[in-house]
Amino acid sequence: MAAGLPRRIIKETQRLMAEPVPGISAVPDESNARYFHVVVAGPEGSPFQGGVFKLELFLPEEYPMSAPKVRFMTKIYHPNIDKLGRICLDILKDKWSPALQIRTVLLSIQALLSAPNPDDPLANDVAELWKVNESEAIRIAREWTRTYAMGN
Amino acid sequence: MSDEEMDFSDDDYDAYYGGEFDGDVDHVDPLKNDPEYMDVAFLIDTEVERLLNESVEELSNSIQVTPSLAKMLLHMSNWNLPEVVARYRQDSHKLLTSVHIKPPQPPPQNVFQDGEVTFCPVCLAPMSPDNASHLTCGHTFCKDCWSMHFEVQIMQGMSVGIECMGNNCQVSAPEDFVLGLLNRPQLKEKYQQYAFADYVRSHPQLRFCPGPNCNIVVQAKECQAKRVICVNCKTQFCYKCGSDYHAPTDCETIRKWLTKCADDSETANYISAHTKDCPKCHICIEKNGGCNHMQCYNCKNDFCWMCLGCWKAHGSEYYECSRYKENPNIAHESAHAQAREALKKYLHYYERWENHSKSLKLEEETLAKIRERIQEKVMAGTGTWIDWQYLLDAAALLAKCRYTLQNTYPFAYYLEAGPRKDLFEYQQAQLEAEIENLSWKIERAEMTDRGELENQMDIVEKRRSTLLSDFLQV
Repeated sequence: MAAGLPRRIIKETQRLMAEPVPGISAVPDESNARYFHVVVAGPEGSPFQGGVFKLELFLPEEYPMSAPKVRFMTKIYHPNIDKLGRICLDILKDKWSPALQIRTVLLSIQALLSAPNPDDPLANDVAELWKVNESEAIRIAREWTRTYAMGN
Repeated sequence: MSDEEMDFSDDDYDAYYGGEFDGDVDHVDPLKNDPEYMDVAFLIDTEVERLLNESVEELSNSIQVTPSLAKMLLHMSNWNLPEVVARYRQDSHKLLTSVHIKPPQPPPQNVFQDGEVTFCPVCLAPMSPDNASHLTCGHTFCKDCWSMHFEVQIMQGMSVGIECMGNNCQVSAPEDFVLGLLNRPQLKEKYQQYAFADYVRSHPQLRFCPGPNCNIVVQAKECQAKRVICVNCKTQFCYKCGSDYHAPTDCETIRKWLTKCADDSETANYISAHTKDCPKCHICIEKNGGCNHMQCYNCKNDFCWMCLGCWKAHGSEYYECSRYKENPNIAHESAHAQAREALKKYLHYYERWENHSKSLKLEEETLAKIRERIQEKVMAGTGTWIDWQYLLDAAALLAKCRYTLQNTYPFAYYLEAGPRKDLFEYQQAQLEAEIENLSWKIERAEMTDRGELENQMDIVEKRRSTLLSDFLQV
């Protein structure tokens, strides 16, 4: 598969392996160098702390002219992530710039876990609760983290 | 539709008899009195390009910038040339920053240093000044990456607003920059097509004809909610909102009404069945013509399809089946009763709106029949084709008037109760009565005297234009 893989992807992959981002691991799939298995640790101080979240990241044909496609595989209670794991993040959509990288995308996702943004929701019911009863929303997020993101 | 044929003949009339040949005839332009008249021009793409290029050239000469930049400036400022010139003279930096031609901060130093290899930040391949390029922001990338970036953006339908590849950089790429870096001719063409569409959309005096696959651009000095009939595809639309023409209702009200109809149509469909029973002999009747004046085939009872009342009682003087009678004590009733009343009121207007829409379709069939009958008559030697044209004119007029009548119902639904509404509903009822009269006469054209029919046509059109000139707001 490495044949025809753009220099940019090779370089990025090499750097991700050599100097990983703290709290994040991204490993290319054995059979597809454009598909990454990502694991993000729930940030400290957030309701996701202690959780280990699996994501998939795919670099489309046009990458880096088009944004990578990223999705949570682990269930998560978050106003900007829906039940299919799709993420509402500006740099994955209209604010994508070819100068951004896999590394910056993953850092942004980590930051989104620390600072949910219920005013720009993807999961409407979650965002609603986050706004009207934040402590209850955080309690549920903790419970989901325990149930789905700990252990195996 | 021969509606527009009539409009054309008006134009031809003007061109032929107007101007200096006017002579001693006290000439009153018939169009000036028409509340629906609007001065528009129909342009093809080359004419639009010429029009746009005139502005571009003027701006580029008066403030000394490249035509490509002038075009971008005009596009971003809704083609308001005097304003662009004034703002440029006042503070050129501020203007160029606000329209994303220049970055807010001055560009960084040249990325190329002597004796060092520079890499393109996107593909990470080494680049030299010869194969690299940048916009006013100084973000430098290799030409291949620029070209790929443009390709991907164009494939997503972008054109004029394509931004620099730098993170968080909003500087837009001007036309000549994009075209200079694109390699595939097909993409250049696509970019130009999209850009052209963007320019037309940002121009306050231009509109694309909404007709399917129609490339005509309509030009008007003022943006008014008036009827435009495309010369090319004959689509009839409102200039202001681009949707189906809707006088006397305004753009916002018709939008509200259509959304409401789409939401409530299930109930409405359920309630209003397609057939009704004759009020006298109770035989089941399906409406097969556009006219609301029904005559039962079984018992010969004349009645109104809408209210099922006796047709004679509608009379010519006091026809009020179009009027909705509100329950005067509604404020004191329970919420449930109020909701029922609200639904009843909506259904009253919706049924009439829907009924006229169906009548319009049925009358199209009548038109087809008229065509056949004319053909037969001409073949049989009863009069010439020209002799029978008045029937087609009558059918066209009927369609035009019924169309307006249909659109009076959303207007009446949202009109607040009061003397204005009373007057409107009075005029609406008058128009409706005359339209049904005309429809009845057209369906029985052989038995109707030509003079009588033409008289009726005149009355109907007068009623229609009176209603429009009293209530049409553009």
